[in-house]
Amino acid sequence: MTEAAPAEPPVATGTASLLRAENLHKSFGGVHAVFDISLDVPTGSIFAIIGPNGAGKSTLLNLISGIYQPDSGSISLDGQDLSGMRSHRRVRLGLARTFQKIRLFKQLSVLDNVIAGFHVHHKIPAWQCVIHGTAYARDRQHCREEALRLLEFFGMNARLNVFAGELSYGEQRMLELARSLATRPRLLLVDEPAAGLNAAEVEVLLDRIRTLRSRGITVIVVEHNMDLVMNVADRIMVMDYGRHLFQGTPSEVQKNPAVIAAYLGGELS
Amino acid sequence: MGYFLAALCIIALPLIFNDTYWRTNLTICAINVLLALGLDFILGYTGQLNLGHSAFYGLGAYVSTLLIIKLGIPFWAAFVAGVAFAGLAGMFLSLFAVRLRGHYLAIASLGFAVIIYQILLNWISLTQGPLGIYGISPPPAIVVGGTVIADFRNLTAFFYLVSGFTLLVYLLLDQLVRSPVGETLTAIREDEVSAASLGINGAAWKVFAFGLGAAVAGAAGCFYASFVGTLVPDAFYVNEAFTILAMVIVGGMGTLFGPVFGAILLTLLPEILRGMGDLRLVVYGAALTFVVLFMPGGLVQAARMVQDKLRPGGRGS
Repeated sequence: MTEAAPAEPPVATGTASLLRAENLHKSFGGVHAVFDISLDVPTGSIFAIIGPNGAGKSTLLNLISGIYQPDSGSISLDGQDLSGMRSHRRVRLGLARTFQKIRLFKQLSVLDNVIAGFHVHHKIPAWQCVIHGTAYARDRQHCREEALRLLEFFGMNARLNVFAGELSYGEQRMLELARSLATRPRLLLVDEPAAGLNAAEVEVLLDRIRTLRSRGITVIVVEHNMDLVMNVADRIMVMDYGRHLFQGTPSEVQKNPAVIAAYLGGELS
Repeated sequence: MGYFLAALCIIALPLIFNDTYWRTNLTICAINVLLALGLDFILGYTGQLNLGHSAFYGLGAYVSTLLIIKLGIPFWAAFVAGVAFAGLAGMFLSLFAVRLRGHYLAIASLGFAVIIYQILLNWISLTQGPLGIYGISPPPAIVVGGTVIADFRNLTAFFYLVSGFTLLVYLLLDQLVRSPVGETLTAIREDEVSAASLGINGAAWKVFAFGLGAAVAGAAGCFYASFVGTLVPDAFYVNEAFTILAMVIVGGMGTLFGPVFGAILLTLLPEILRGMGDLRLVVYGAALTFVVLFMPGGLVQAARMVQDKLRPGGRGS
């Protein structure tokens, strides 16, 4: 597995790497969910992690976001070591995520879901939480405006006061993205964003992810649908059974016999 | 505007009910409102199923009373100490149970209430156990320049003191839940993993909310001891915790107004039904069951539904 180590520099034009993980291991019981994975995500790129169901993609994402801690190996964001840091602390460093199984605040309105995402950015002295003053009013106004902009970006501005639990599946995906962006991330982790979406919704989604990249946000997309990431990702890592299978540009991935074998379930010839 | 009306109600109530019986009930009502507000902050806003609220109520009562009686500390200093002690006990329990949620936290908090009750009952050298503590004085009269402004041996003055304090607590909690703190707590209630993905430290905020709610219960305990003048452990048995829980649920958790209404209703309903003799418990129980079965969001939800039906073009549900 040494050839997968980040000694091999990323091909993408971005020189600096934002996220770097080295030799990550994570097992549950006797199962190696993630086995010796290393990755290097260039700043400003869209990095896709693909693989069949059960390949360990979501576990890898949970290691990066801090929901799990690795058994061994290290992760750093922009040079800062994330070892042992819990997920809520990582958000302050600019790391945001969405979930494969959507996790919204179902009994809060669409607008309140996004406003909850500003948690780490409020600029209110503590006493103004009890006795509301001008800083409170300014913060409210500011959060509301920014939330409206985010919701407009995802085409949700007609649904502001609807409970999140009443939205359609596609709308819930968009709302979760809007909420994660409220934390103003540098690196956004998106876990199977297209699951349950129809073709038109997937198109919108891919377009928004590209726009985020153009605004300087690095995106890691986990997906088991290979076709979907082919025209959006700058670089793709393929996983199978928790292990690193291949890494390269979309066209390289498409031609690689090992990847094809993993996807079609055939024997390597 | 709402606060102005509430203040008017508080001023008018003891003038309308001018006998000792009803004025006593009014003060007990105000104390129960305080208890329900504290529990609602823990349960309704932060989603921590606390079945041991009676413990913090009892700690506030006993700590403040013992400080006054054993050490001769002035009432208001003992009040602050009682509130702080109850708050710290709440934070301690929440810290201890930080990995527990739902039913597990419910059992842990229930166990805590039983332990506190047993301590109050069995530490006879300190609490006099089931014999109780008698002759607890009301708070000292407020005297300005030789004139007595408020003498708390007077039932009306005591009612104004407790209800004024309760109104202040309501005001501060209302401001708090409409600030980013409120958003943070409801986010934790809805989904803690999701909240963590937004940078929210769920454990720390849960400890904060539990401590604050327990401190409010401690304040209720201090008022209770000085109002009734007698302390026995049975006043803080776990069934008291379930009564407070019923007030919050019947009124509507996750709103501040609901528990206020629930507390008033469940304090006064048994008194109003007193004429029915033993049948009143049946009616009381049936009313509780009815609310929980048909209005899971409590009376506040029911009121909103009626409001929506009456308003043309309003949202359906």
